[in-house]
Amino acid sequence: MAAGLHSTRFYALLKREFQRYVRRPWNTFLPPMITNVLYFSVFGVILGARIEEIQGFSYILFLLPGLVVLGAISNAFENASFSIFHGRWNKYIHETLTSPLSYTEMVLAYVLSSASRGVIVGVIIAIIGALFTPVGIAQPFYLVAFMLVVTLLFASLGIVGGLVADDFDHLTVMNQFILRPLVFFGGVFYSLEILPPLWRTVSLLNPMVYMVNGVRYGFLGYSDVDPNAALAVLSGLTVAVVVIDVVLFARGYGLTD
Amino acid sequence: MTLAIEATDLVKEYGDVRALSGLSLAVERGEFFGLLGPNGAGKTTFINTLVGLVRKTGGEVRVFGDDVEDDYRKVRNSIGLAPQEFNVDRFFPIREVLMHKAGYHGVSEAEAKRRADEALELVGIYDKRHTRFDWLSGGMKRRLLLARAIVTDPDLLILDEPTAGVDVQLRHDLWEIINRLNDEGTTILLTTHYIEEAERLCDRVAIMDNGRKVTVATPEELMERGSDTITVELRDPPASAPRLDGAVTEIEDVRLEHDRLVVRVEGGGGRVAPRLLNALEDRGHEITDIEISRTSLEEIFVELTEGQRGEVERDGPERDTLEAY
Repeated sequence: MAAGLHSTRFYALLKREFQRYVRRPWNTFLPPMITNVLYFSVFGVILGARIEEIQGFSYILFLLPGLVVLGAISNAFENASFSIFHGRWNKYIHETLTSPLSYTEMVLAYVLSSASRGVIVGVIIAIIGALFTPVGIAQPFYLVAFMLVVTLLFASLGIVGGLVADDFDHLTVMNQFILRPLVFFGGVFYSLEILPPLWRTVSLLNPMVYMVNGVRYGFLGYSDVDPNAALAVLSGLTVAVVVIDVVLFARGYGLTD
Repeated sequence: MTLAIEATDLVKEYGDVRALSGLSLAVERGEFFGLLGPNGAGKTTFINTLVGLVRKTGGEVRVFGDDVEDDYRKVRNSIGLAPQEFNVDRFFPIREVLMHKAGYHGVSEAEAKRRADEALELVGIYDKRHTRFDWLSGGMKRRLLLARAIVTDPDLLILDEPTAGVDVQLRHDLWEIINRLNDEGTTILLTTHYIEEAERLCDRVAIMDNGRKVTVATPEELMERGSDTITVELRDPPASAPRLDGAVTEIEDVRLEHDRLVVRVEGGGGRVAPRLLNALEDRGHEITDIEISRTSLEEIFVELTEGQRGEVERDGPERDTLEAY
């Protein structure tokens, strides 16, 4: 299953995947820009002014890391799932499949390019947030590490989504009915501290809580959960999902007859 | 010498349906090999097994000695495929599509660009290099599929119905290109519905039906298996057809149609005609005209595939296979 990376082949697919979204900024970067300007305006400025500080941070500043995570993982997931599914739907993924790329090379190219889109969108959202409120980076290492891990994780989950989907509607369902609720209840808009004990415990089962709090720890130096444990678990999970991706590709799941 | 393709008892099942039913086939290196067969015969399934788009259920298949699953990267590196379907990347101009494909095969970017331009020039759509696939005409799309197949400089070029639905001029252009590649040493595997295409291009053809091989032969050998018709015009037609079977053993049937004698003979009519004419003159007939119509490969194809169906239908254990189609 595993195979060494052949730099030219791998780079060719990575570059193709990267250029696919970079050359279409109206489709890939403009929508999250508009959405987040609205989030910061309405939740941060208009409503935020009426919300008390959380753990000593203004609401808009508390909100910012959560919105960065929301945008980053949504885009990483969407990019991978769309790229795989659209390629399957129009069958041009055959160009890749009939080439001498190893299955590991294929998966890593899709995962890394999709994660890069998530990171870029995350940076864009952070810059938009900085236009609304001064923001610093308290823990740069954790910020970079969590951003990489969460985008890689959701890019690799997006591959599973793209392989499993039989219709474009399935992609919408995954995003709207699974991803978005998990993120919204993952502590983007509130601190777990304000929840009753039962719901606080239930929330800890939501993996988004660890991602949002990890990135929040990077920006603000504050987290509801232990950032080291969160980073370790998320890293393990990412490796596991990437391995699943490679196995699915090797078995031709959703790709071959 | 290693064979270009060697399939042994190849089986592909989709649930109860057997798309390939113990197919065994050998294609020599450098050969121009045709696969003929009706729709559903298993031609595309066989091709897709070679490039990894179909996973075989059983049997073995090797390309230049390498197993298509165990050594999939080596096998895929040696194959260029122009499929029936338009499965081309819609996001990029066609030159970049070709560069990507070459890149996936380990070709450096500068070399990929050179090869892409060369391939586009060869198939005559270099002017469209900045155009995306969806904006090409149907004929140009076919040309692009060939360009994409050759941009990786394959040792085995597989063409799945490359001239389906294209005009005569383009068909001849494509034939010329393919022939040139074959002359330069590329092994060609061609599937086609156009019998004339197989007859003109292929060194050997395999006729497939119901997922198995019916026969493999050169087009000439196949033609020999058919019955030619010799039509002889006589100055004074007799009241009934003369008996000639003793004089010419290849005669299958003789009948009189107005003033013309229509003789069906086994194998090549040109070989039989002189003896037939002598026999007629010996019997006092004066010949004013003669015409030989060769049996067409198409007729032989229909005969062989229909014969195979009859054989399969009579064969008990295979009945399910046939019904599943």
